[in-house]
Amino acid sequence: MEDKSKLRRLLPYLYWIVGLLSGYFLLNALISPFAWGITLNLGIVLKRLGEIGGFLFAILTGLALVEIYFYQIFFRQPSNPRSRTTIRGLQYLLGGMTVLAILSFFEKTDLFRLGDNVMAGIVHLPLNAFGGVRSALTGIGLAKGAAGAVSGIVFTLVLVGIFYAVHKMSVPRVSKLGLPYLLILPAFVGVLFLIIYPFMFEIKLAFSNASLGTQATKNAEYGLIYGWQNLVTLFTGTVAKDAKFFDVFFRTVLWTVINVTFHVGGGMGLALLLHRPMKLQGFYRTLLVFPWAIPTTIAAMALRNEFDSRYGLFNILLTDLNSWLVSVSQGTVNVPLLGDAFNWLASNIGPVSWKQDPFWAFVSILISNIWLGIPFMSVIILGGLQSISQEYYEAAEIDGASKFQMFRNITLPLLRPVLTPAIILGVVWTFNKFDVIYLITQGGPQEKTDILVSSMYKAAFQFYRYGFTAMFALVIFVILLIFTLIYLRASGGLKSATE
Amino acid sequence: MASVTYKNVYKRFGDVIAVNNLDIRVDDKEFLVLVGPSGCGKTTALRCLAGLEDISEGEILIGDRVVNDVAPKDRDIAMVFQSYALYPHLSVYDNMAFGLKLRKLPKEEIKRRVNEAADILGIRDLLDRKPRQLSGGQRQRVAVGRAIVREPKVFLFDEPLSNLDAKLRVAMRAEISKLHQRLQTTFIYVTHDQIEAMTMATRIAVINKGILQQLDTPQNLYDRPNNLFVAGFIGSPAMNFFPGKLRKDGTKLLVDTGDFSVTIPPKHAKSYESHAGKDVIFGIRPENIHDADFIPPNIDAEKVNVKVDVTELMGNEIFLYLVSGKNTFVSRVDPRSKLRVGQNAQVAFDMDTFHIFDAVTEKAIR
Amino acid sequence: MNSTTSKPLSPVTKALRWFFVRSRGDSPFKTILIHATLIVASIIAVYPVLRVVTISLRPNDTLLTTSLRIIPENATLDNYKEVLFGAPEKNRKSDFFLWIWNSFSIVSVTSIISMILAAVSAYAFSRFKFPGRAVGLVFLLTTQMIPAGMLLLPLFIMLAQLQMINTALGLIIAYSVSTVPLTIWTLKGYYDTIPVDLEEAALIDGANRFTVFTRIILPLSTPALAIAFLFSFMGGWSEYLVARVVLQKNDIYTWPLGIFTYAQQFTVAWGQFSAASVLIAIPVMILFLYSSKWLISGLTLGSVKG
Ligand SMILES: Nc1ncnc2c1ncn2[C@@H]1O[C@H](COP(=O)(O)OP(=O)(O)OP(=O)(O)O)[C@@H](O)[C@H]1O
Ligand SMILES: [Mg+2]
Repeated sequence: MEDKSKLRRLLPYLYWIVGLLSGYFLLNALISPFAWGITLNLGIVLKRLGEIGGFLFAILTGLALVEIYFYQIFFRQPSNPRSRTTIRGLQYLLGGMTVLAILSFFEKTDLFRLGDNVMAGIVHLPLNAFGGVRSALTGIGLAKGAAGAVSGIVFTLVLVGIFYAVHKMSVPRVSKLGLPYLLILPAFVGVLFLIIYPFMFEIKLAFSNASLGTQATKNAEYGLIYGWQNLVTLFTGTVAKDAKFFDVFFRTVLWTVINVTFHVGGGMGLALLLHRPMKLQGFYRTLLVFPWAIPTTIAAMALRNEFDSRYGLFNILLTDLNSWLVSVSQGTVNVPLLGDAFNWLASNIGPVSWKQDPFWAFVSILISNIWLGIPFMSVIILGGLQSISQEYYEAAEIDGASKFQMFRNITLPLLRPVLTPAIILGVVWTFNKFDVIYLITQGGPQEKTDILVSSMYKAAFQFYRYGFTAMFALVIFVILLIFTLIYLRASGGLKSATE
Repeated sequence: MASVTYKNVYKRFGDVIAVNNLDIRVDDKEFLVLVGPSGCGKTTALRCLAGLEDISEGEILIGDRVVNDVAPKDRDIAMVFQSYALYPHLSVYDNMAFGLKLRKLPKEEIKRRVNEAADILGIRDLLDRKPRQLSGGQRQRVAVGRAIVREPKVFLFDEPLSNLDAKLRVAMRAEISKLHQRLQTTFIYVTHDQIEAMTMATRIAVINKGILQQLDTPQNLYDRPNNLFVAGFIGSPAMNFFPGKLRKDGTKLLVDTGDFSVTIPPKHAKSYESHAGKDVIFGIRPENIHDADFIPPNIDAEKVNVKVDVTELMGNEIFLYLVSGKNTFVSRVDPRSKLRVGQNAQVAFDMDTFHIFDAVTEKAIR
Repeated sequence: MNSTTSKPLSPVTKALRWFFVRSRGDSPFKTILIHATLIVASIIAVYPVLRVVTISLRPNDTLLTTSLRIIPENATLDNYKEVLFGAPEKNRKSDFFLWIWNSFSIVSVTSIISMILAAVSAYAFSRFKFPGRAVGLVFLLTTQMIPAGMLLLPLFIMLAQLQMINTALGLIIAYSVSTVPLTIWTLKGYYDTIPVDLEEAALIDGANRFTVFTRIILPLSTPALAIAFLFSFMGGWSEYLVARVVLQKNDIYTWPLGIFTYAQQFTVAWGQFSAASVLIAIPVMILFLYSSKWLISGLTLGSVKG
């Protein structure tokens, strides 16, 4: 009895061991014949896991320290007047160190420059101290990596020591406000470093002449005058190579309007068709989300392929259609009117040069993006439709409303909470939709299919006009912001969402 | 096992004063019911005690301990919510065991307590189900069970029966009363249903607009309401009120409503003499108005001419809705009464059980 | 009912009426029309995807053809073999598994990080009133207006300063908060639908704020969390632009960069490109289609109240 249960408790481990071993052997047997050609190996995997583990550890420690620090500010108060000065002093010291560390990070990454003065000395104090410990450790014979690790540990220990001291000398304090701030702090730190900071940097760049000639920011000069120059160039000069701002802007608007119209219209149509009890519903639904499910990169490349002038799907179909029209027109040559009509069709419908003709190139990216975007909208709208109670329709039916009236007076208004954000985000995303254009036409021919963002990308990464690009980006951002504000004001949507 | 004390407690939400100078002492093992109309601050008072709201002023004590700054989990209370608030992702067993697990009780102890509570409430068969697989009444039991297993010092109930149908409500009412006797713990129970209050409470606190109106035993509240509000709130159908004047006619003291007047029997008149000439409100409960043909013996009856407006046959009694001039009122009469709609008739006011309130202060005159 | 047209209808009229008119529900005509529309739409949705499969199955010598057949003549799996295991005869090795591993390791870490950040702060936005709350929410929405690539340059400079160009960590950092703002909104919307009663009951039962979050809120929002994770994962999984800028060495490529090496070779290797695409897309699509039912509820739950 005793033995049996013991065995049973061991059994899961046994399963695991057997499973892992057999998996290993199976993998070996399957892969080893091909192992020659596979560049991935266990070493690489382990190395990456190590990297990630260390990184996560560093992030978690960092966040934990910040959290503990803020906890001590919000939730701790001195236990008696005597310890007050000490505690406040320590708290300010910690806060000052944090602020300085962030500032010196910004300085080191060129957000602003202090040069070689006292200010710089103060700002870099924490990081330099860190560096000092590190080089001292290297000096006494530790290898560089180990010195880094050890000095990191030393610093953490010092911090923990301070925390402990503060903790010992203080008593808990009730704080209703502290908790939400503690909760959003990690996200805030992330957003600060990876969104706000780059954004501020971008603003700074917008007022500079940074370009390839200045070796990016290295020799760049900053000043309002450069910002003004960038702005003037943007509106009067060329934005990438030849294109003018307003041409590209109007194309972008056209691109956005057409795309969003088709997305919402097509999505609504499909959703209405799917939102009725019928056979095969699940089947259709599955098939129809295909364009959304396939990774965009792959879809875009596949579609680019299909716009090939000879071997692409579209021209194959058009060629077939053309030859059919030709044969029909030959057969109906003698029939008045009809013959002429087919003749005209045969000579006007046929393969198109998707790559060389700017108009067709634009059509090709439109087709692609519309194809890609409809499923998302239809899924959103379908969700909205399903949340509308059937009772409204039954009531309307008893009142004698027609199908169209029901759509206008029940479906549309009740879909509003779903549609408004979907349309806003749809417009913003489409306005900034970049990958499809970049992957299919690269903006060609002659930048005639560029929209604002793709021109901007080119200005930055093909023509290295960094300062100009930054100003360009700011202008795009402002345009979108204004659009959103107007739309929200018109539809009164934001208040309810933020309460 | 503990007493609960509200000491001059205020709770403000911006400009709204939800609880206004509440001053109550609830004794150990008492069953206190808070009643009042909707929005009067009952829930808020309870939530302040539970620690779910901070109080703006005053002190709340559980036992001898001031709990103003004590977290809910450390107050040793259990609460049954109006919505039951069962955790949808946990089974009934886990719902009931949740609080015990958080308190790190040994597994066997948890099991014992949950099973015991389940037996008391008759939900032994439901322990494996999820809340959404239960009926309203069963959910209610689970919610109570979750409170019982904790064996807290104080039980709080916030309108636990209001989501149940009438029949189940009556049954659960009795069960909760039984539970109180069995557990011998302090219960504080919020409801706006005065029948619930009357049947279950050892004492009732009537609250209106955040202010405590009267705190007394059910019988006292019924027989000697302190003011107009309590008089009208307790009792169903509600007490009839007749605005009028207290008038001295020779040696007789009478209440003149304009349409009719009734004489106050000399044996009761003493306490009212000093108020002669004042505007008052005369109150009398429906069961103290009798059909003139069926007047019980040995009462001081005052006859009043009325017209019958509506009759409601209840089986063991009849509700008559009567009109006398500008006054409309209800009486609960003997089922043998022959009065019919539209008929002019006489009813008799039992002048041994009436109430007189000051028309200005609305306080009872005694 | 029809007292005015009391004369009997001819069988043809009857049949036509049966076909076209219904007082309730759809007539057969309408049903056929709806199915036809849906079938056409499905073909449009699926056919381009199938073409990728077709190209991947073509033997190398007939890659360029105007045939529209779905299963090509002389279908072969050679392309798959070369993509997966390289081609010893051409002395060409395969980085396919390397790319997948790079993508997977990078994207799963970023998704986990951004999920944790978003899940926690969305809770604060949903349940607490604090100064800065409304501003914060609007700000998060505003970040969606930042054009793609706008932050790329500063990010690049920052990563270069930290010597993180061409490292997985660099890309992890670059990705990690990009989906956080929208995820916060989605999760906040979901949390808003969880009754506060439950939390209060737990508080009285002996939980503190932290246990309430881990034992009540998180278990109850698993569907929303799963969807947010999926979105975040999918977003990073096929991201191209940022990766292009941050990673410039073959052995650190993620798969979107990787499969472009097929397209950039002197003779575009469409067959292998397609084979690699299929191999990558299939698991993603299965995951996606499998979870699409949740997706619908998850996307709208936040926005539709009650
Ligand atoms: N969180 C809050 N913020 C602002 N006002 C509140 C809040 N909670 C309650 N109130 C207000 O306080 C008053 C008392 O509310 P409370 O919920 O205590 O009433 P109640 O007696 O329980 O009513 P009911 O019988 O309808 O449940 C009401 O006027 C209500 O509007
Ligand atoms: Mg209430």
